[in-house]
Amino acid sequence: MPPAAKLSFEYRGMVWRVAWRNLWRSPRRTWLTAGSIAFACLLVSVGMAMQDGSYEAMIETATGFYIGQAQISHQSFVEDERLEHTITDATALVRDLDRIPNLIVAPRAQGFALVSVGDRSFGGLAVGVDFDKEQQVVTFFNNLTSGTLPRGVDEVVIGETMARNLGAGVGSELVLLGAAKQGGVAALVLTISGLFSSGQSELDRTLLFTHLEAVQNGFSLGDEIHTIAIRVADLTLLEKQISQLQTILPDNVVVQSWRELMPEVTQGIELDRVSAKLMYGAMLILVSFSVINTFLMVVFERTREFGMLLAIGMRPGLIIRQVLAEALFVWGVGVAVSLLLVVSLVGYFSSAGISIGGMEEIASQFYMPDRIYPAITLQSLVVAPGVLLAGTQIAAFVASWRIRNLQPVAALRVD
Amino acid sequence: MSEVVVECTGLTRTYDQDSVPVYALRGVDVSIMKGDFVSLSGPSGSGKSTLLNIIGGLDRPDGGEVVVSGTRLSTLSDSALAELRLHKIGFVFQAFNLIPVLSAHENVEFILQLQGVGSALRRARSTAVLDSLGLSQMSHRRPGELSGGQQQRVAIARAIVTNPALLLADEPTANIDSATTEELLSLLQKLNREQGMTIVTATHDPMVMSYTTRKIKLHDGMIEEDESAVVV
Repeated sequence: MPPAAKLSFEYRGMVWRVAWRNLWRSPRRTWLTAGSIAFACLLVSVGMAMQDGSYEAMIETATGFYIGQAQISHQSFVEDERLEHTITDATALVRDLDRIPNLIVAPRAQGFALVSVGDRSFGGLAVGVDFDKEQQVVTFFNNLTSGTLPRGVDEVVIGETMARNLGAGVGSELVLLGAAKQGGVAALVLTISGLFSSGQSELDRTLLFTHLEAVQNGFSLGDEIHTIAIRVADLTLLEKQISQLQTILPDNVVVQSWRELMPEVTQGIELDRVSAKLMYGAMLILVSFSVINTFLMVVFERTREFGMLLAIGMRPGLIIRQVLAEALFVWGVGVAVSLLLVVSLVGYFSSAGISIGGMEEIASQFYMPDRIYPAITLQSLVVAPGVLLAGTQIAAFVASWRIRNLQPVAALRVD
Repeated sequence: MSEVVVECTGLTRTYDQDSVPVYALRGVDVSIMKGDFVSLSGPSGSGKSTLLNIIGGLDRPDGGEVVVSGTRLSTLSDSALAELRLHKIGFVFQAFNLIPVLSAHENVEFILQLQGVGSALRRARSTAVLDSLGLSQMSHRRPGELSGGQQQRVAIARAIVTNPALLLADEPTANIDSATTEELLSLLQKLNREQGMTIVTATHDPMVMSYTTRKIKLHDGMIEEDESAVVV
């Protein structure tokens, strides 16, 4: 007696053919099941694409605002932002960094000072920057509301709130008095060339920006700086570039990525990811249960047919395989429909963007732009179909398990 | 001396119906020889279908022994029984029980695929069988596009395409009209006479019995009458 059905290629072909045709015995049910799979995949894929798009925008907005995608500073400055914790030989270091392709660096030096206009005085942080480079690294200086950026080393831009507190405006002269690095007095007399309003009152009340040399000279820093803000051409390659940078930096000078500089952004993204995963998981489980229901119905309705197959000598395992093949096809139809919709929808909105109008204020607090551009990633396309592939196969397997114990005589008697 | 295809000894089978034992078979002894065309008849509950199912390895007796083509069924696992059914027994059911999504030709080929027969031989054999049963014109049609009689002929084609040692038919004419019944019975008779196929059919129908060469009548789970019985 030759062994039955060694699952030859042709036999497998027949299983697939029968499974595909079985799918269309009840087209409405097939479309409903495939539709629920497609809908779940669509929601998860679009949701993930929206998340990825919003995270990219969030990171871009957060890092591009003032801090930069990464910063180089002395290890001691990371631990304690004191005036004397500087990077030395800054000019040479910045020149070396400028030679690295796809990297823009903006050196900064800073010192606390008493800022006075007339008889009014407030504490502030004077930051010396290279305005040309800063504008390539961050967007902060786009927030000028009046005047211009400093042209000469004796000019300064200050926040609107500080100007209001000091009773000053563009053209006013202000005096900075602080402690210099060597213990002497840092004294600068600067003319306000412009005012900015960043939208963050803390910054608008305390920050003032002038040329790097002015701060270095005023605070006796010489060729020393405190930080170098960095922007890379491709944010996804940031970590790699940081590792490469670290090898050429002097001892005790470190690079921190935005993840370390702004842990609240990373935490916000992680929190959002976890809550979204829970929601997606719940939805995918629900859909898998609906597939179990469908296949329980399939097995119930075809009990007599399965009885006949068992009677003529087909093994229960082969019948289960056929049901699994049907589940695979339903999944395939659902996923094909969802991919079509996902690619069309996300493709369109990735260029047109989705407005979150009316929520600009809340959005800005979370570094969110007022328009989100969903981003298709491999992950957003494969996660839901992958999970549902497992879900539908498990569902069909659970539903068809009773075929193993089906007695042909009893099954053939089922009406 | 004629070859014994089926040998049943002391078969008993009891079912529980609402906790009340129903004795379907009470010690049935029967031998079926190669080339027999047997009808199992009797009133409802007489045990004819139970006997047919046990001979076909679809059910197991509570007591006694069945030997089919030299194989003792009690020694076989469920899986080995399935193998035996696939290779040695052809089944024709009352309700045709064809696979609705396959054409007549594919339904016949399906069982050969289960047996692992190669495609060329498979196609040749199914085509030959369908031709011999006058179904070549409708081999591409699905069961839903065939009449009851045509479906039952396809079911017979599926049952005989593997050249089984034994063809079992459970009320094969119950769902077809009398003209088609005669046609089918002539077909079974032809298979029996020309190919020497051993056929056992459970039936109520006197017309079926008139075609068979051996008539076994059951009553209350026992053989009441066996026209040409071989004494075990």
